[in-house]
Amino acid sequence: MAWSRKSAMFGSLAIALYLLGLTLRNHQLVTVAVVLLSFLTWAALRAAHADVSASGRRMEERSDEEAGASLSRLEAMRKLSAARVFEDGTVDVTLKVQNMSPLSKVLEVRDSLPEVMRIKEGANYILMELGPRRETVIEYTVECPLRGFYTVGPVCIRIQDSFGLFHKEKELHVYDDFLVFPKTEDLKDAFVKSKVPKIFTGAVNIRQPGPGSEFYNLREYIAGDPMKSINWPAYGRTGKLMVNERERDAVSDIILILDSRAVAETGPVSRNSLVYGTRAAASLASFFLSRRDSVGLVSYADEIVSVDRDTGKKQLYVILTKLAGAMARGSTPLQVVTNRILPHINKGSPIIILSCLEDDSTIVNAVRDLRARDFDTTILTPSSLEFEFDARRLDRTGYEVLKTERDILISELRGLGAFVMDWEPDMLLSTALAGARGF
Amino acid sequence: MAQKGVSSDTSHLYDGKVVRSSAPSRKALAAKMTGSSDIPKDAIPEVHIPSFVESLFGGPLVPKMKFLPADKMVQTLQMASGAVMIMLGVLTYIVTPVSGTAWFWFGETIGVEVLGLAIHLLLVLGAIGCGFWGIISRDSRFLLISYVLFIIVSFRFAASKVSFEWLSFDDELLQKIALVAYAVLLVMYIELTNGVIRFSMLDTSIRTGEVYVMNVKKVLTKYHISLVITPIIAAVVAITTLLFKDVISGFVGLFSEISALRLEESVELESVYGVALGTMIVFMLVAIVFVADIPGRYQKMREGGAEE
Repeated sequence: MAWSRKSAMFGSLAIALYLLGLTLRNHQLVTVAVVLLSFLTWAALRAAHADVSASGRRMEERSDEEAGASLSRLEAMRKLSAARVFEDGTVDVTLKVQNMSPLSKVLEVRDSLPEVMRIKEGANYILMELGPRRETVIEYTVECPLRGFYTVGPVCIRIQDSFGLFHKEKELHVYDDFLVFPKTEDLKDAFVKSKVPKIFTGAVNIRQPGPGSEFYNLREYIAGDPMKSINWPAYGRTGKLMVNERERDAVSDIILILDSRAVAETGPVSRNSLVYGTRAAASLASFFLSRRDSVGLVSYADEIVSVDRDTGKKQLYVILTKLAGAMARGSTPLQVVTNRILPHINKGSPIIILSCLEDDSTIVNAVRDLRARDFDTTILTPSSLEFEFDARRLDRTGYEVLKTERDILISELRGLGAFVMDWEPDMLLSTALAGARGF
Repeated sequence: MAQKGVSSDTSHLYDGKVVRSSAPSRKALAAKMTGSSDIPKDAIPEVHIPSFVESLFGGPLVPKMKFLPADKMVQTLQMASGAVMIMLGVLTYIVTPVSGTAWFWFGETIGVEVLGLAIHLLLVLGAIGCGFWGIISRDSRFLLISYVLFIIVSFRFAASKVSFEWLSFDDELLQKIALVAYAVLLVMYIELTNGVIRFSMLDTSIRTGEVYVMNVKKVLTKYHISLVITPIIAAVVAITTLLFKDVISGFVGLFSEISALRLEESVELESVYGVALGTMIVFMLVAIVFVADIPGRYQKMREGGAEE
């Protein structure tokens, strides 16, 4: 049985008035104190105790029975509408609370939610009278604004007396996990092309028109088609301008490198380099995999986590799961990552690095290594400076100095032949990619 | 990072530097910024540091929550609080004489006896006024002032015997009933006004969708029942305590009439210390009930009994 602030105030006031009444020999004060004490005592008796402090045992040793007879026969079950959603998606939660006791109870029920979740519809906090051997269903919808692994629960139940003087609480350990994937942006084109044909031919059957060497089919000429692709014999036969379409060459392997070091989380919770990076990685993975390319992911934080290159929808969910769980921590330099992965990547494969380019003195060397081995390197760099400046956490002078340093670094990387885009917070991923590739 | 007295012109940062590539918009913006380099005022979050008085009450005294217009339940509680407050005001004036108070002593000292009475009356009226405003506007600060004033009014050195200056009861029992009624009304006034704030919060939370309430009627019925039963119980316990002298002399009278008579005429038992003794014995019995976990056992019996 726990005391509320109100009961503590009543108790203190009663004792103070009682002592003062005895000192001043004042019947009025003593009587008020006695009435206050009676009021408290009656409320405590009604709140039927059996608390932990009385038994002298620790919380973890407490059994259901000791938590109070009135709470021992309450049960809860929860059901989620989805175990995996994308950012800004919603999950419907259905919580069933059962009163197995033969007595009716006035309960406060709060289903614990992760802090970042927002309730869109309904409520997770319910005050109710639950009849004997009855059950009730509570439904609410939560919006999931940020990627991650989340747990709903426990269910906190509280019984208190009518005046809110004493209460008893119990946690029903009912937990449900779900996963929020980073949201993806629909990309029309990533402007990333392979310099070499796919080595493992036959493993993936492309059968899509696009830039490539093999003939795919004939179609009518559309303004803007290159003259060299016009099929003149077909024109001669049909009298219409026809062009050759080619079967798209598969990109060898796309490697996405995500910077999830501690510094990547600089900025507001919902607007920082890591959030942008994970969303970009998810969008790119989705785009390339839908083109039947082979995509791999390397995420570096305090350790290097990688997802082997593969194709298909399953690979997309493997990558999305890794991205959902990416935590900002550690400070592994990029060169450690490149040194480790370079021997395993096919020469000429496009590499897309998603990094804020901060607090890492090895970036230039790492990119130089990549370029020296002729890897097609694209760097999308969401700037923490912009996030901090927009959130007004950075003063103008500091911003200008840091911005200059950043610009110099970016030009140095561009000088090495990497495609670099300083990704501004309000810029769409497709625009950033086009900008990086010089379109 | 902002430095006072340093020129806001930052073009020198770019002297001799050619930045060939980068997003032009931001760079151009950064280079052309000519405004002050001070940290914008709205960049510093507003932090409310509680004053000493606020920290005593465990938080800011200014109510942050804006209540929505009172619903029927809150209005009923407001009316009940108002009625109890008026009764309490009248009873306070009756049961708390001005003699023995600090302001009475002050008035006598400076030779203006009526001053003590004026201050006394002012305190009672102040308590009612603050309470009235607190109930109407649902402002806990005014309610708190009202509670304090109602309690301060009864701060007086008194003879051990119960004495009412404004109204005299010949019957001792009536005197004690009036005293208990005053105490019960004071506690009920505190509880009801507290209920006004509590249910306003709850009502606002319900209407803003923060809390959902099922079977509102049953929840409120339980509160209403408690509002009737609890003061009765408290009054009975208080009466028993105050009449402890009679109870104990009646009990002893079963064995010895002389001892019972002595106890009945005892000055100590008649005084406030007799009440203290009564309180001690009554609450010792309550303590035994708690130690034996009788409420817990009763609850278990109710939970388990019906199962079988």
